[in-house]
Formats: sequence, C-alpha cells, structure tokens
Amino acid sequence: MKRKWADFIAAMLFLLPNISGFLVFTAGPVIFSLVVSFSNWNLQHTIPFRWVGLKNYLELWHTEDFWLYTINTVYLMLALPACIIGSLILAMLLNQRIRGTVVYRTLYYLPSFTSGVALLILWKALYNPEFGPINALLNWVLNDAHLNGLFQAVLGHPLKPPEWLLSTHNLLGVGTEHVQVAGKNWGVGARDAIMLMGIWMGIGGGNMLLYLAGLSNIPQDLYDAASVDGAGKWAVFRHVTWPSLAPTTFFIVVMSFIGGLQGGFEQARVMTNGGPAATTTTLSFYIYNKAFQEFQIGYASSVSWVLFIVIFAVTIVNWRLGGKQVAE
Amino acid sequence: MKTVYAGALVVLLALSALAHQLTPRREVGDRLLLTWTSDDNPARREQIALFNREHPQYELCLDPNNVGMEKVIVQSLAGVGPDLFDCYSYAQLTAYVKAGVAWDVTDLYRRKGMKIEDIWPVVYPNFIYEGKVYGHPTNAATDAIWFNRKLFDKYGVPYPAGDWTWEQFIEVAKRLTVKDSQGRYECFGFLGNRSEWFPMIRQFGGRLFTEDGTRCALNSPEAIQGIQLLQDLIYKYQVMPNPNQESAMAAAGGWGTGTITLFGGGKGAMAHGGRWWLCLLRDPAYKDLELGVTEFPHGPRKVFWGYGRATLVNALSPYRRQAFDFIRFEHERPYNELINNQADALAPVIKFCSGQAFLLNPEYPKEDFNQAWYDVMEYGEPMESSPFVDGQVVQRIIDIQMDLVRTNAKSAAEACRDAAKKIGQEIQKCLEQDPKLKARWERLTAGDR
Repeated sequence: MKRKWADFIAAMLFLLPNISGFLVFTAGPVIFSLVVSFSNWNLQHTIPFRWVGLKNYLELWHTEDFWLYTINTVYLMLALPACIIGSLILAMLLNQRIRGTVVYRTLYYLPSFTSGVALLILWKALYNPEFGPINALLNWVLNDAHLNGLFQAVLGHPLKPPEWLLSTHNLLGVGTEHVQVAGKNWGVGARDAIMLMGIWMGIGGGNMLLYLAGLSNIPQDLYDAASVDGAGKWAVFRHVTWPSLAPTTFFIVVMSFIGGLQGGFEQARVMTNGGPAATTTTLSFYIYNKAFQEFQIGYASSVSWVLFIVIFAVTIVNWRLGGKQVAE
Repeated sequence: MKTVYAGALVVLLALSALAHQLTPRREVGDRLLLTWTSDDNPARREQIALFNREHPQYELCLDPNNVGMEKVIVQSLAGVGPDLFDCYSYAQLTAYVKAGVAWDVTDLYRRKGMKIEDIWPVVYPNFIYEGKVYGHPTNAATDAIWFNRKLFDKYGVPYPAGDWTWEQFIEVAKRLTVKDSQGRYECFGFLGNRSEWFPMIRQFGGRLFTEDGTRCALNSPEAIQGIQLLQDLIYKYQVMPNPNQESAMAAAGGWGTGTITLFGGGKGAMAHGGRWWLCLLRDPAYKDLELGVTEFPHGPRKVFWGYGRATLVNALSPYRRQAFDFIRFEHERPYNELINNQADALAPVIKFCSGQAFLLNPEYPKEDFNQAWYDVMEYGEPMESSPFVDGQVVQRIIDIQMDLVRTNAKSAAEACRDAAKKIGQEIQKCLEQDPKLKARWERLTAGDR
C-alpha cells in the first residue's frame, strides 16, 4: 500500500509540469471564458462589471451580423468535399509505383509547410483583377479564344473575369448585409476566391498523407482476389479501396468539419481584413474583432462558446452517422 | 529511470535560472531603458536618436512589432506593455482611457508650463479626452492635393492654383484621366486615400454626429450629397479608380504604401494626402517626380481632413514619470524642427511651423510648397466622435458602407441611411451597458422627447 502510494506520488510529480501547464494555459482560460460569457466585461473601467446571465447569448441570437458571419463560415466549408475528394485522388495517384514518387509527394505537400501568410500574399497577387495571371488566362479564354461569342449567343451578354477579392458577389447569391439569397448577389467574389484557394492549399496536405497511409494499409490480398474475380478499376475502388478507407475518411471528415468551423481567420486578417463589406468575416474573425478591437470580452466569449457547442454537436452527429458506416 | 527524470528536472531548472538572468534589464549601463511602441516610419529612428542625445539618462528604443491598439491594451493590462505608445484617433484614445492604460498628465502639463493652445487644434482629439490631457501629439496634418507636375505638363493642363470648387476640380481631373490603346487606364485624374468621405460630407453642411453626439447624422441630405459626390467621382465622372482598378495598380505592403506608391508611380495625376508622404517620396526611387501641392477642392464650405498622431504614456508603466520626459521633448524646439525637416507632416507646436527654416529646407530645394501645408491647417477638421458609442464600432460600420459605395453595390443614400441606423443601434447598446452614460444622454435629449 505504502509502495503504491509512493509510486502514485512520484507519477504525479512527473506529470505535474504538464498538468500545471494544461490547467494554467488551456483549461483555466477556457473555464474563465465560460464564466465571463455571462458578464458584461469589456475592459472599460467606466462600465461597472455585472453578471448578465444569458443576455450575451440572447443578444447574439438576435444580431444579424452573427448569422451573416455564420453563413460566411459555412460558405467557406463548401470547399470541404472538393478538398477531401481531391486529397483521395492525389493519394491514389501518389500510391502508384512510378519513378519520382517522392518528388511528387514533396511538391504536392509543399503548400502545407510553406508559411501560410506568404501563401496568402501570393494568392492575393494571383487574384489581381487586372494583371493577375488567373484573370489573364480567363481573359484569353473568353476573348482571344472567342468563348464569349457563345455566351453572347446564349446569355445575351459576354462574361467578364470576376473581381475576386474585391467583389461581394458569390456563387449562391448570399446577401451582404442581410440574411437573404437574391439574384443581384450572384457572381464570383471574395468568398469564392478564398474557397478556391482553400481547396488548393488543402488538397495536398495532411489529408493526403492520411489517405496515403490508409491506402498502404489495405492488404494486397483483397486486390488480388478482386483481380481474380475479374473486377474492373471502378469496381475495385468501390468494393475494396473505398470501404477499406472508411475509418480514414471518417477521421478526415470529422477533423475537416472542426477545422472548417474554426477557420477563415488567417485569410480575413491577411488578405481582406474581413471585407469587402464583411463578406469574408468568419466567426473566428468576428470573435477576434469583438474581443480585441471592440473589447467586448463577455460577448466575444459567448460567441466562442456558441461556436464550441455547434462544433461539438456537428462532431457528435458525424460520429453517430459516420461511426455506423465505418462499423458496417 | 528516475535518475534520468530527476536529471532532466535539474537541467530545466538551471536553464530557467539562466533565462531569468538573460531577461532584458531596464538599465542599459547607467541609462534607463524606455520603450516606445510606434509604427516603422523611417523618420522614427532619427527622432529617437535626438531624444537619447538630449537625455543621456535614457535609452529610448522603438518597438514597431507591437503596434496595434489591441496589443498595447492587452500587454499593458498584463504588465508587459510599453512605456509610451501612439494613438491615431479619438476612438483609440477613448479605448485607452476607458481601459485605464492612458495616463492623465494634465497636472504635469501645468507644472512644466506646457500649453495646449500652443498645439494645432486638429490633433486635440488624439490626446485630450473629456478635458483631460493624456499625452502629446507627435505631428499634425491636414490633407491637401499632391499633384504630379510632369503629368500636368504631359497632358497640357495648367497647374492648379488652389481655392477651387468640385466642378473646377472635376474638369481638370477629367483631362488627366487617360486610357491606353487597349482601353486600360494609364493614369487617373485623382487618387483617394479612403478618408475623403468625411471632409466631403462636412463641406456640404453634413455631420457624422449631431453637435451633442447623441445621434448619428449621416442620413441628412447634406451628408448624402457629400457621399454621392464621392461615388460620382468613381462612376459618373470616372476620374477616380474603383477598388478593382485601384487593386490592379496597387503594389505590395510596407509602411505608408498603397496610394502613395500609386501616385509615386505616376498612376495618378493628383492624390489626396498629407505632407508626411514626403517620408516616402523623398526616396531616390522617386527622384524624377516633380511635385506640387494645392488645396483639396471644396463645396459650399471649406473643410479639409485634419488629423495627427499622439504619444501617450502608459499609466501602468513603473517608469511613467520618466517617460513623460519624452512627452515634454515633443513640445520643445529640437523635436519640432526635426519633424519639419523630416517632413513627418507638420510639427505639433504651431510656433515652430513658420520662418524660413520651415518654408524652405536647403536639403530639398524643390519643396517650395510648405506654405501651402501651413495654410490648409486653418481648414482642417478632425473626425467627429460621440461619447455615446465606441469609435471602433462606428469605423467598422462606416468602412462596410463605404466599401459598398465604392464598389457601386449600394447608392450613397442607402449607405448613409443604413450606417445611421446601425450606429443608432450601437448607441442604444452602449447606453444600456453604462447607466451614467445613459443618464447623460437622457439629459441631452430631454428636449427632443
């Protein structure tokens, strides 16, 4: 008994630095933010500190900005399916036994270990509406390759290359200042630009590596058996590869949802400052602005906790739905 | 195994002790280290060197990495803030004062014989809050029109002589807005700097807030007229680039770039800016630029955009009394003359902005326009503010609406009305939070209800 107790003490002493760090720098601030979310704390000495109960939560429910920025956040997550499917396709290509596979893997993974800020600045230049290479190519396709003749005939007017980061339009026609969908908002704009950039940055990243690992774990016997049965490539993928990758896909989907709901901060901060007209302001950027620009710490904490609840709920749903399919 | 862990613990403790020993000390030899958080303007280093020479007991150093209101406030409240920091607007000053980070130096001003009346009024909002003084301006400015003489010569347009109306300005700007053979804009007649909306509404008799600050007045016909003119400059008269066109010409970041770089690159014949542009335009890269300065055009009233920057003392710094010596230094001749020589806008103290030394710097003989910079100060008005709403929130709302006006996604009238409505809602939110403020607001609006 004495020895068990001594061992226990020794273990706790060794764990103490890590646990202290966790309590002081992670758990403590998280619990503090939960407590503060029920107050009106805003760093101003002129406003007396008060507990306001659920007032912050009710206020955000009735604040149109909160819903607009939630829509912006979900909008950027429309890129997730493309990212996941793209990662799978890349992984399958890189899983081939061909010369130079290592070089290709490095090249595709490059965006993941390049400085995020540097990439965002690069993309800002690519999206330059007059002189950026993307619009230069689109201009060539539409005008020099005469594709606009077809659009003129079908739509009655030629198409122009989009203004990308300077436009409030978007592919779904989502409104800028009000929660609405309207034809006048339709087009390609800043949200879509960030989404496309996100696909490029996400395809060759960690998800690709996870799929590569998953693919390498599929027993060759299954492929041999399928080959013996005369299965074609699509049948092999559908009945062997895809089901075997189910646990990997499940993990990627869950983590992507979590990352997507928390994302959009870097892009807003570096590329657009949340504009134009707040169309690229996501919930994380909104929380930052409320907390550190307007110093409404209580309100910002309540938005953070609502975001946490949403992420938790989505994760539970994913777990229930995806978990069943993985088990099957 | 336990020995290994115990050994690791001892090594970590030793390294921690070493790190503690290596922590930068406040004393550098026999000099006290003071930190000033300010932007990375190239002129800042010479200003600091001058202070250090005049005050050998101090070693003032610049920290350009922690510029930003949120950083200064959070770091100061955490006890690791700078001794001195810059304030760029009334909204920021309000935030610093309310957070308890800005030190009230009113008494020290009196004791040291420093007079507010000696300072340009346009910068009062950056360091005076509710009758109390919290710092000193580092410079003062009123924006005017920079013009590129070579472009005027190229297109055969006489140089502007100032005191001109918008109609006259637009005619000149149209002649200087030129496209190339492919229909791309080679040069715009006018480049804005995103601040012209305020003087434009004031020129037509509009206001951002009512006189007592209880209500946003952006939805008045006069204010709408000013914003409409701004939109017309872009879309009706097409003498000013829209954000798309501006971005097409834009260069990368760095201190003070953007419009200045576009103007320096000959993309605009005229630009709305301040004397502090010379901090960049004196660079050898722009040696072929022939510059002129004239007044900003005006409507029925002559109002221009006035502003400045102020240095505040951190109320939570243990060396705030010593830091005040820098504030006092900003009020004295050597600093003011340096600001004028560096062309970091105008010196904050009025009496040092006259005389031959100010009018003509022998190092830059082509800069024969300093009298114009002095003359426009009379018409400079700082951004309006209201004690009943957070200036940062107001700025965010206005930025969004101005974005929509500039991209032609909204009419000026709609944008002004929406901005006024949203600012009104924010005023109500602030009043609900602060009972004293609400009582004050109710007293002021008793007659309206």
